[in-house]
Amino acid sequence: MMGYEDLVATTFMLPLLGAAIAFCAKLVGKERKIAKVCEYGGACIGLVAPIVVLVQLLPGMLDGQVITGIIGGWSGTVGITFRFDGLAWLIDLLGYTIALAAYIYSLSSGPKGPSFTGIFLIQSAALAATIMTNDLFNLFVCLEVLGITSYVLIPTSGKPGASLAAFSYLMVSATAMVFFLVGTYGLYRITGSLSYAGIAGGLATMDPEAYGVAVMSLSVLVAAVAIRVAVMPLYGWLPDAHALAPHAISAVLSGVLIKTPLFALSRVLVLFPIGGRVGYLMGLAGGITAFLGVVLALSQSDAKRLLAYHSISQIGYVVAAWGMAAHMGIHTPEGAALMVAAYLHALFHALFKGLLFFSIGTTTDVTKVRDVLASRNSIASLRSAGERLPITFVTFLAGALSITAIPPFNGFVSKYLVGSSLKGSLVSFLLIAAGVGTVASFIKLSRIYWPMKHTFPQSVEKITFLPRHLAQLLLASLCIATGIWAPWIIGIVGKLLGGVSRLDGFSPYSPDNLIKTGSTVVGGILLFLLMGRPWVSDILHRIRDRRMDFKGLFVSFSLGTAAMALWLWV
Amino acid sequence: MVDRLLLLILFLIGFLTIVAKRNMIKKIFGLNIINAAVVILFVLEGSRIGMDAPISNGEPQQFVDPLPQALMLTAIVIGVCITALSLALAVHLYRIGGTFDIDKVKERLHDGL
Repeated sequence: MMGYEDLVATTFMLPLLGAAIAFCAKLVGKERKIAKVCEYGGACIGLVAPIVVLVQLLPGMLDGQVITGIIGGWSGTVGITFRFDGLAWLIDLLGYTIALAAYIYSLSSGPKGPSFTGIFLIQSAALAATIMTNDLFNLFVCLEVLGITSYVLIPTSGKPGASLAAFSYLMVSATAMVFFLVGTYGLYRITGSLSYAGIAGGLATMDPEAYGVAVMSLSVLVAAVAIRVAVMPLYGWLPDAHALAPHAISAVLSGVLIKTPLFALSRVLVLFPIGGRVGYLMGLAGGITAFLGVVLALSQSDAKRLLAYHSISQIGYVVAAWGMAAHMGIHTPEGAALMVAAYLHALFHALFKGLLFFSIGTTTDVTKVRDVLASRNSIASLRSAGERLPITFVTFLAGALSITAIPPFNGFVSKYLVGSSLKGSLVSFLLIAAGVGTVASFIKLSRIYWPMKHTFPQSVEKITFLPRHLAQLLLASLCIATGIWAPWIIGIVGKLLGGVSRLDGFSPYSPDNLIKTGSTVVGGILLFLLMGRPWVSDILHRIRDRRMDFKGLFVSFSLGTAAMALWLWV
Repeated sequence: MVDRLLLLILFLIGFLTIVAKRNMIKKIFGLNIINAAVVILFVLEGSRIGMDAPISNGEPQQFVDPLPQALMLTAIVIGVCITALSLALAVHLYRIGGTFDIDKVKERLHDGL
């Protein structure tokens, strides 16, 4: 009989086991049938089995259980401890759902092969481990594993630019992680401990003179994580990496990889008495990120890059809600409600952005044109490539309606939640502006499907649609289902995140909110029409062609860290 | 104090190399240098309470704090992984662009896209 402890450990052990089995496929030779059995068997063990485990764990989690354990049966003084609570369960669910859909999608779109499967599974394991970790050094290791797997996976698309994007990402992220280590050092020096509980205890009895060290350490920790989350101004690595990665990997990177470090950071933040101030600053940065992300997205002409900038914008929503939750204190009712909003938007964004990357990926694979302005009539191209029903267009529409917050899709509910819990603050105005921009940019993107009388000469190649359609339909139905049953989902998420079973005043379909949604859409349409004006498109061109260089990333990292330290110090 | 100051200088040399040098291989050098600086910092921290190796038949009061050393073994391993991977990417980019200069590679990629 397995104890709960062992069951929890399987959430990250199973993908590792699956990866080991998938790598075995390389030993037996490519042609043999057994190689395929190893590869797909490994993927099943690594991606499907954890979801089964999560379902088994749900009743206990709903009772408010927190499971702690030590890996490998070592004693508590030397072993690595983990802590599995409601938040970890939720993030695991998010991660494995998207990873499974992405893997199914990759069966047709590539990359293929046992090496890809193995590394992909290791990344999933690292995601599960990141959110369960209970000490700062282990968090460092998990973040590094997440990073290393993404530097490997991004160039697998074979595009030359992808290698450069991976190199830039590697350089800035590895440097940030060295700073993270310095922060770990600072905290170890003043508290003599690395476990979260030990650090909290050490900070409570800390020598007041060491306050500066605590502030500096926290700043570099937060800044290093913020690079991974791509909050303004630390976003520079993301657009290229996400746009040039293979479609399946783009979905995972945008959906899961930029959010997991954020939620893992909330565990660190609550240890600090000054954590709330960090939360406030992050929340503000999140609002600005949401707004600027959309402005940048509007100026893009490459379809996937446009989606990548939207990931930045949407993560801004999540960070805004998350930061304000940390500011209020996640155990207060307002804070808990904000945390629920942050998680829900993270989950829903993962679903609809994954869907959008898949749909656009399928479309651009067929038409071979990624320029939004040059591509038209994609439904016809898809049909001549062998798609009988316009499934890709329908799934794209589901994703686009979700991200632009049209009822009853899921984005409508989560954006309402974020907006209503931030009501009246400066951030909420930024989010409204971001909503208008989102509508405009998705009208722009949807033009690739618009029918035209004079179609372009098409040289379409046949592609296998079945796995792609399966993944797209899975996510599309989840987008609708999570939108319709949102109150029920909010109940579960609220319970798992700290005992809020129901949110007061939750009424997304109130006349007020519907009017607000309607005016956002109208505003979006007006903005879209305005974008056709020469002077506006001139501005957008300038934004798109702005200089983005390697040094800028480091300068913004240094300045961001310094600004945060200053903010905490004053 | 002087040892910490030297480490700071080492760290800054590494950081500046990453930021200012355009050659990708030199950037990777820089990454290794700041990594080494932090590793030494941790080991130095461990030696505050003693200088002896924490193995049997010694005076436990003279032992170094073994925890930072254990952590740094892991950090060194991760550093090696990152170095190997970044070198592989650099070679790949060299094959595409014909140079190790990151700005030139970027320009050539931009022309080619």
